[in-house]
Amino acid sequence: MSSAAATAAMPRLHGARIQRRFLDRLAEASGWNVVAVALGCAALLLIYGPLIWLGVMSFSAEPLSGKPYPLTFAHYGLLFANDKWHTPFLKSVLLGLAVALACMVVGTFLARALVRLRRPGGVLFLALLPLFVPGLTIGAALFVFLRTTLGLKLGMWSLFIGHMVWAFPFALLLILIVTIRFDVKLIQAAEDLGAKPLRCFLDIELPLLMPGISGAGIFSFLLSFNELLRSTFLRGNETTMPVYNWAMASAQQSQVPIVFSLSTLILAVTLPVMGALFFMLFARKGS
Amino acid sequence: MATALALSSSPRHRWRLPGTATGWFTGWFLLAWIGVVVLPLLIISAFSFFSMRQYQIVYDPTLDTWIGLAETGRWVVVLRTIRFAVSVTFLEILVAFPFALWLAKGCRSNAVRAGIITLLTIPFFIDASSRIIVWRSILGTNGVINNLLVGSGLIDKPLTWLLYSDFAVSFGMFGSYFPTAVFPIFLTLSLIDDDLIKASSDLGGSRLQTLRFVILPLAMPGIVGGIVFTFVPLMAAWIEPQLLGGGQVNLLGQSIQSALSNLNYPVAAALSTVVIGVLVLLLAVLIVSLRGRFSMSSLFQSLDR
Repeated sequence: MSSAAATAAMPRLHGARIQRRFLDRLAEASGWNVVAVALGCAALLLIYGPLIWLGVMSFSAEPLSGKPYPLTFAHYGLLFANDKWHTPFLKSVLLGLAVALACMVVGTFLARALVRLRRPGGVLFLALLPLFVPGLTIGAALFVFLRTTLGLKLGMWSLFIGHMVWAFPFALLLILIVTIRFDVKLIQAAEDLGAKPLRCFLDIELPLLMPGISGAGIFSFLLSFNELLRSTFLRGNETTMPVYNWAMASAQQSQVPIVFSLSTLILAVTLPVMGALFFMLFARKGS
Repeated sequence: MATALALSSSPRHRWRLPGTATGWFTGWFLLAWIGVVVLPLLIISAFSFFSMRQYQIVYDPTLDTWIGLAETGRWVVVLRTIRFAVSVTFLEILVAFPFALWLAKGCRSNAVRAGIITLLTIPFFIDASSRIIVWRSILGTNGVINNLLVGSGLIDKPLTWLLYSDFAVSFGMFGSYFPTAVFPIFLTLSLIDDDLIKASSDLGGSRLQTLRFVILPLAMPGIVGGIVFTFVPLMAAWIEPQLLGGGQVNLLGQSIQSALSNLNYPVAAALSTVVIGVLVLLLAVLIVSLRGRFSMSSLFQSLDR
């Protein structure tokens, strides 16, 4: 009898066990790795596919159609004949350099201060806060504050503030990585040998922090150079490169082909540089 | 965090610059930073409680703007934006978590890992409008996809819902915010000690159990971080709906922008306040999930490895 009851109870237990084992096997199957990687790579393709297509279409006679042929250099010819983009380009470069310089200097001092602080958590959180705020929101907020509340005339200076708020957290993070790694004993040794604080900083600390600081400079420059959302609110009458591109792209006008060529050229210069830079940065850490 | 801080303030470290200079600098920085980050956000929230009369702001607290939002049906835009943000964020995390897990624990080659992290980093530095506008020539009625589909005889006439539609906007958003979803998850996953995972399997845990009871709880802050970095910017997405929605998809970002350009500050402020509210809420969740889990130094050690 008892054995009959046991067998009656079996199927349910058995079923549960089979179900568990099935899920386990499902999880253990190496197929999951393949699915994970395939989906991730598909997402990467969603990012880089359009960039490649952008390059292809910049040679197409009709860039907004789906056909790359007939191929033509006409848009590049038009681009070089057209000088309207020179001023925005130059302004973006200068602004980027200013933002990069400011981020490097302020970032270095703040990162050194953070490592020395008793409780850096609050300061760090505040410094990194703009990372969390959407560009449109901080742009609108700065616009209402500077333009409406303070009644100031917007221009390059407000673009600088907006870009600084965007680029600084990234710069700070990069510099923090090297300041945290910095060996304090080096400074102690130099002090024991009679070096003044300024000498210690310039001759010992700064050279060792330099990889992080220069990385931060490049990051900040690129972030500023490509910044659009904050710029649309804070530009006043100024036009930066991304603002120019945006105006051309969203107006659906005949200028679009030029934007394709221009963006392709900028990408052709910046992508390899960024690729090499980041790869070196991450590969060094990976080893 | 306590241990890390105790370390840096222990008497062995007497090398700090004249303490006051560092203190002064930090103080000035904080003051300036509050002025350009926190204050503007507070002010724009406050503006939603003012009203406009003849293009002049009336500094007199009122709920008119908020009531107006409900009455003019603008809240539909808020709901629609939340719908977009929720669905795209969900998909992002769904794809990003397994990918990040593989990247942090499964990928054996440092070069491959560095390469993928590089690919994930670069999009932060690319001009958004040129990146998004290309989708038009891919998804349009005579774009690549339709050409291929019609050419192969699968469909008779081009699909019109590919571009200037909810689909196109979600598609553009997915690509834009994939890296921001992967990074926080990847960071927390690579912080997990491999020994913990090994211990779990030594004790007889299946891979599914290890995932459910070891990896997932430890990765929670990263998942919340991924949600914050994806959901919040999606609430204020502007480039994707503008370029790929073709006027058909009106989201919060466009409403804020158009209200601002119409000098309707209170409405723009109220809509921005919705975004800021979501941000504060999610940040609070993130801080709670981070509490006591990670110190600043351990986070950077993981970056260092």
